[in-house]
Amino acid sequence: MSISVLDALRPARKPALLGLVAVFGLLIGAWVHGKYFSDRSPVQPIEFSHKVHAADNEIPCQHCHIYADTTPVAGVPSVSKCIGCHKSLPSVRDQPEILKLMAFWENREPIPWIKVHDVPDFVHFTHKRHVKADLECQECHGPVETMDRITRVATMRMPWCVECHTEKNVEHGRDCWTCHK
Amino acid sequence: MKWGNDLSTFVEKFRQYLKPGYYDEFDYHWTMTIDLDRCTGCEACVVACQAENNLPIVGEKRYAQNREIKWIRIERYWEGEYPDVKMGFIPMLCQHCDAAPCEIACPVFATYHNQDGLNTQIYNRCIGTRTCAVYCPYEVRYFNWFTYTWDEPLEQQLNPDVTVREKGVMEKCTFCIQRIRLAKDNAKDDDRRRVRDGEVVPACVQSCPTEAMAFGDSNDPEAKVSKMMKDPRGYTVLEELNTTPSIVYLKKAHAES
Amino acid sequence: MSKISRRDLLQYIGAGGIGAVGGVLYSESIERDVELLIPQVVPPEDYSPGIATWYNTVCNQCSAGCGISVRIREGKAKKIEGNPVHPVSQGRLCARGQSGLNVLYNPDRIREPLTNAGQRGTGNFYPISWDEVLTTIGSRIGRLKIENNASRVRLLTGRVRGHLDELFAQFMGLLGSDHYQQYDFTYPSALKAANKISFGIDQLPYYDIKNADLLLSFGADYLGTWISPVHHSLAYGHMRQGRAGRRGKTVQVEPRMSLSGAAADEWVAARPGTEGLLALGIAHILVSDGHYNGSDRDQWSDVLQAYSPSAVSAETDISEGNIRQLAREFGTSKAALAIAGGATTAGTNAVASAVAVNALNHLAGNLGQPGGIIFNSDQAFSATPGTRQAGMQGILDLVEAMEAGEVDVLLVHDSNPIFSLPDGVGFRQALDKVPLIVALSSFRDETTEQADLILPTNTYLESWGDDVPDPGVGFPVASISQPVVTTLYDTLPVGDIMLSLVRQIGGELPMAMPWRTMEEFVKERWREEYEKRGSADQDFEAFWQAALEAGVWGQPGVMTGDQIVPSGASTIAAITNPASQFAGSETDYPLVLHPYLSASLLDGRGANLPWLQELPDPLTSVVYGSWAELNPATAEDLGIREGDVLEVETPAGSVSVPALIFPALRPGVVAMPIGQGHTAYGRYARNRGANPMDLVSMQIDDRSGDLAWAATRARVRNTGERLQIIKTDGVTRTLGRQILGPKNDHA
Repeated sequence: MSISVLDALRPARKPALLGLVAVFGLLIGAWVHGKYFSDRSPVQPIEFSHKVHAADNEIPCQHCHIYADTTPVAGVPSVSKCIGCHKSLPSVRDQPEILKLMAFWENREPIPWIKVHDVPDFVHFTHKRHVKADLECQECHGPVETMDRITRVATMRMPWCVECHTEKNVEHGRDCWTCHK
Repeated sequence: MKWGNDLSTFVEKFRQYLKPGYYDEFDYHWTMTIDLDRCTGCEACVVACQAENNLPIVGEKRYAQNREIKWIRIERYWEGEYPDVKMGFIPMLCQHCDAAPCEIACPVFATYHNQDGLNTQIYNRCIGTRTCAVYCPYEVRYFNWFTYTWDEPLEQQLNPDVTVREKGVMEKCTFCIQRIRLAKDNAKDDDRRRVRDGEVVPACVQSCPTEAMAFGDSNDPEAKVSKMMKDPRGYTVLEELNTTPSIVYLKKAHAES
Repeated sequence: MSKISRRDLLQYIGAGGIGAVGGVLYSESIERDVELLIPQVVPPEDYSPGIATWYNTVCNQCSAGCGISVRIREGKAKKIEGNPVHPVSQGRLCARGQSGLNVLYNPDRIREPLTNAGQRGTGNFYPISWDEVLTTIGSRIGRLKIENNASRVRLLTGRVRGHLDELFAQFMGLLGSDHYQQYDFTYPSALKAANKISFGIDQLPYYDIKNADLLLSFGADYLGTWISPVHHSLAYGHMRQGRAGRRGKTVQVEPRMSLSGAAADEWVAARPGTEGLLALGIAHILVSDGHYNGSDRDQWSDVLQAYSPSAVSAETDISEGNIRQLAREFGTSKAALAIAGGATTAGTNAVASAVAVNALNHLAGNLGQPGGIIFNSDQAFSATPGTRQAGMQGILDLVEAMEAGEVDVLLVHDSNPIFSLPDGVGFRQALDKVPLIVALSSFRDETTEQADLILPTNTYLESWGDDVPDPGVGFPVASISQPVVTTLYDTLPVGDIMLSLVRQIGGELPMAMPWRTMEEFVKERWREEYEKRGSADQDFEAFWQAALEAGVWGQPGVMTGDQIVPSGASTIAAITNPASQFAGSETDYPLVLHPYLSASLLDGRGANLPWLQELPDPLTSVVYGSWAELNPATAEDLGIREGDVLEVETPAGSVSVPALIFPALRPGVVAMPIGQGHTAYGRYARNRGANPMDLVSMQIDDRSGDLAWAATRARVRNTGERLQIIKTDGVTRTLGRQILGPKNDHA
């Protein structure tokens, strides 16, 4: 009788296979989560549609994100900014989402938007420089004008930043301290 | 394309490894001069740095264990005995050496020389071997032995332009790189290619009540630092080590009598 | 290939499913927390996110009155720097000034009005509403006023200038009490008294260090703690290296090397208390060697007769040759200036010493000259800063009145006599006789702890006000103080509290003081001054906006004009033999106690700021805590090593502190920094180190009424215990490394 290692391992074959399947499942689960459940596309307190505003009504980005070309922060529009237009738009006044907006305004409460595009605190990022370098908003934020609910299309992680800096041959674009602080 | 980039990065790194500070020419060469004849050792710069760069309040216990973090400190040296005793002050901060011993030491390239002649430290990359601190002859590198906290609401003062460091990373003077960045940003807004002399003022230089410190681009012969560096009193600390520091001290003058 | 049984298939599916759920859960668990993006409801007009704005105001960390710029981002104060257009600070700022952020964001600030509920001194306080507390105080004071007993109301403040001072004065004046006084330990009362004698002007003049060639400082740590350190430092830098080919020289006379002593070319450790005598010795030579040739030379010669170099040398322990050399340099310098401060003006001979130093300035002929003493002939608002500084005598009068039961209500603002005065004054005990003590304060310091009611004040970074620097800079200047952040807690600016009290008390007060807020009051006064001085081609509102933006208004042109040059007669008449009388006999107490103001904590007001606690002392590098310095020779004689816990004992009391061997200290002197030893004042200050004021004997200089805090003898005893002194210094010798520069010349 020959002694085989494989034979010795035979009783472990099934648990190992089961484990393999479980790991496979784990990966699928993580992928599914990333695709459908992650913060890339969170449900916002008001179902605000960029498609309606930016595409259907052709409002330029910086009409609302007014600080994008002058400060590091693009700026989310103030509630008063929303009301500025919507108070004279009777056609949509009775829609449920607009009623929510009006409620915020009447209570003088800010809208707790959920952040979709975020970089960690140790990153120095300035919208101004990117806008002034004639980058389209869509290059980082994706085709927002086609989105009803905002979805993050880029990873917003370092390799993604560096890749673009390299491609565009940004001056000192790959020096660590250009983006780290 | 991508592979080519990585390869060239690697070659670059290798050259850097063989010859630290290999840039033949810096874009800017940020340099500081400190006139010891003006310096009174008042330590305004120390607090200015603490405020600007989010240096932690380490507490009495940690201080007693030599865990203090002060990117700029005043060193004191006594000469002579009573009654002919003299005190010499010298502000000591990262010298941003062009041939920096710390840069050779780091196993993960967390500290390197950038195109502006700055010796920089990348906190995210640092794994805390502390080798650089051992290699530094000026002893100006400080290690975060703890994650420090601020008693509420002191944290409201923290400068949003500077990272708050955590346990396990090395840190040191950056020549207030956030101010350099701001000045470059302003220059770009004005369509200037270069930053003007005097536009970048690190916190310590800004605060100095006797105007002992000057800061600027020594590549620009017209800059104030370039002129100060030519002063016959000028010297660099521990010159014999050939670290070629970016800080030039002007030694204290003596009274004529 | 073997068949998979149904049972196995289900197992595989189960494993896969569990894995998938696990994957989702795991991913979920490592998700970053949701960050919110909170918009503003209505954005402020000049708001730009991520961009800093600077607001100019006035520093309140010492009495210099530096203009400061505060960096604000998203409504939070981030950094304080000097205001570049302010003539005092000129864009620079000292460590204490920059630590103002620790005042604003201090965790130990008083956040709401407090009452002790009738249990004084227990340290227990309970919240109370503003309405209630103001009504209580208002009705109490109102009743005293109606009963014509308003003089039973006393107001004690720290250094207060500008229109807050006027507001306090008006308030007390309208009540009918003339008992408004200030007490600031660091105020140079003796110097001011001496200047009044010598120059007939009741103000601090401007000492033009910038243009001097020789600065002879008697005890004045002008770079660290004396009067206006930032301005003096700027001047010092210019004097040293700002003039091509002309490097000014400085000489420092003091028993313990201060920051200014370290910077000086010569450090002269005269016997403590004899500094004024040394000045007279120099004056003697100036006259006898013909460096002074004024018409009153003979009078000078007569009065200085007794102070021959040999006599002075014996008293001061400075060699005759050294005195002669100092005199020669002083006499031949183009612009020689002498100043007095610190321990020199804190003996029982304080005024006499300062007069002696004034004599040197007279003889150097520097009055009204560049590089000399410049009088502020025209102050903004015709201000007379410092006139309400009561000095020690004022405090003693107050204590006496309290002991006699003549005080019903004591209002204390920003003054901490319990900490900064010796116990011998009896301030703390006298408070027991006062039925109502009200503290207007941002912090619970020792004096505030004794209060019945605490009215929490805004810090200076949250308040309106203005300031006239003292001393002026030679021309009229006024600074505006404005809030740079919104008020953090349920606190009020001190001016607004006083105006609220005005309305509570009623009577004719609200008519005479109709302003709702301090801002209104300040603006009205500025309008009046503007109409008096301003140009016609700008209306006031535009001027006001410009002044707010600049933080300061001044008229540099006015500087020169007619400088009063007083005759020497009054100085001559005032010259007496200045020898300080020390408490304690030399046999019982062989050492001299030399307390000095801490460069970082000053008189202790900075002890609650963590940045200052962590700032190494400039000369010893010690942080957190106090120590007693001994000369190496003295220490060796006594068998004391660094870290030995000493019991320092004087006729007034004793404290235990670790010993520090300090090379630049006269043998026979024990030096201790003032500033630590708080029993209250928040987590960073409390129970740390010792307060040398506990050692100071109650002696006053009878000519100024000021506390002679440097006139006590002491002895030390080694307790045998050891304590680690926390300091940053390691090796303090260069060991030939040429760290301070190559020794190729002047070796």
